[in-house]
Amino acid sequence: MIKTEHLSHFYSVGTPFETVAIEDINLHIKKGEYVGVIGHTGSGKSTLIAHFNAILKPTSGKIFIDGKDLWSEDKKQRIQTRFDVGLVFQYPEHQLFEETVYKDIAFGPKNMGLSEEEIHRRVEKAMRFVGLSESVLEKSPFDLSGGQKRRVAIAGVMALEPKVLILDEPAAGLDPMGRDEILGRIREYHQETGSTVLLVSHSMEDVSKNADSILVMNRGRCQMHASVPEVFERADELEKMGLDVPRITRVFFALQDKGYPVSRNVFTVEQGKAEITRLLKEGGKNHA
Amino acid sequence: MLKDITLGQYFPVKSFMHALDPRMKLLLTLLYVVALFLVSDFWGFLVAAFLIGLVASFSKISLKVVFRGLKPLVFIIMFTAFFNVLYGGGEPLFPQIEWLSWIKTDGVKNAAFMIIRIILLILGTSYLTYTTSPVMLTDALERLMRPLKIFRFPVHELAMMMTIALRFIPTLIDETDKIINAQKARGADFETGNIIRRAKALIPILIPLLVSAFHRAEELADAMECRCYHGGAGRTRYKIYSLGWRDWVALGAMVLSFAAIIMLRIY
Repeated sequence: MIKTEHLSHFYSVGTPFETVAIEDINLHIKKGEYVGVIGHTGSGKSTLIAHFNAILKPTSGKIFIDGKDLWSEDKKQRIQTRFDVGLVFQYPEHQLFEETVYKDIAFGPKNMGLSEEEIHRRVEKAMRFVGLSESVLEKSPFDLSGGQKRRVAIAGVMALEPKVLILDEPAAGLDPMGRDEILGRIREYHQETGSTVLLVSHSMEDVSKNADSILVMNRGRCQMHASVPEVFERADELEKMGLDVPRITRVFFALQDKGYPVSRNVFTVEQGKAEITRLLKEGGKNHA
Repeated sequence: MLKDITLGQYFPVKSFMHALDPRMKLLLTLLYVVALFLVSDFWGFLVAAFLIGLVASFSKISLKVVFRGLKPLVFIIMFTAFFNVLYGGGEPLFPQIEWLSWIKTDGVKNAAFMIIRIILLILGTSYLTYTTSPVMLTDALERLMRPLKIFRFPVHELAMMMTIALRFIPTLIDETDKIINAQKARGADFETGNIIRRAKALIPILIPLLVSAFHRAEELADAMECRCYHGGAGRTRYKIYSLGWRDWVALGAMVLSFAAIIMLRIY
């Protein structure tokens, strides 16, 4: 679905401010995959994803979307790519501008040149996905709460019905409830539509709960791209990059080191609970 | 990208020019601008160009970077030149060609004069902003305008407003960039269509930008009040400027060039 070859991007080329944002990125993201993109602030995550829908032009290297080279095509094709690869930026609520929530969500579909009925259908569907009620449709987006604004903004991109949905820190600045809610909605969207999803985050917990695979960025380079358990097996390397595996996973690593027959693939407290209960039951049998 | 606009940007490096007292730099720039308008023939420009060359070599910022900052102004420069040609007198430059008869020798000369003057003007003032941080610049302005206080002119307030305005230019540019990208991601098209369509396409950028600017202004006002800001009265300075040998050297070079330009004008 998305493929990059030696993708690099430098900022402010030719001035004293020249900096390397990303360097020599080679990846392959499959159709329908849910990828967590993780890395420190300034590791190049946001720069990387801005290349996938042709917002940024690579300094060197190539990007293929659905097998087509993004920058060898003409401009019209690239605008089409923006509808195929939906990108939700950080703090997307800052982009709201219309008089009503409905109009704001409809902005994208309208740019696609769809019919009124189709726009209406898409707005309704996107609202359902993010869990907004009908009652806010005619309100001004500026009158909503922070969490609701965020949802409107995400719905604005979902309404494009992109094949790939990329979200840059969609839960940043939300309270724990709002955070779980948004991430849960995105997971549902992924399962229901079968679209490819990229979730950028610096919370390992969020990523491990949701994603199939993890892409680890560090200092502008892609350090790992593997399934969640495979990445967590390299906990020491992650630590050197200032990243961490979820605490509960660490607990189970330690338990196994001490000789308890527990699984190493425990990423959430719920999974941990199930694993401990299983162990207790089996342990009970052994002693009997 | 908007970020690549170099005009008026500060380049934080260490150099002779950076180390100059900002008050002196401001005065020198003023003198330089006055000198440029006193120039009456091409020899005078040569002196000014030599001065710019000196500044360039003592500032660790190459002329190439500065010239790139001229790019957005090419249109204005060409526009000025065109009108100078249009209204110039003298003999036709191409007497044989009928339809080019409006191009006269004096007009072309005036146009060339204007182009050089504008370019030198921009280069000189660019070097001021390239080598002086906005905060230092407004500080210097405040000091130099202090005498105006006698006439109850709000010098401190004006300087503070300028500091804030300058401080937020990069922030707002960043913000604009982000909003443009976010709307582009939703398929907004800023590049095609007629003028009315393009103007309309700006609404999705301008509204979020205004909203966030107002937010920021409110937050900043709160933050300033929290730190007990109450205007300029009784406020002391953290940095006290004093003139050093560099400043006198720079002033000397400027005065010499100024004198040379005046001499060239008289003789």
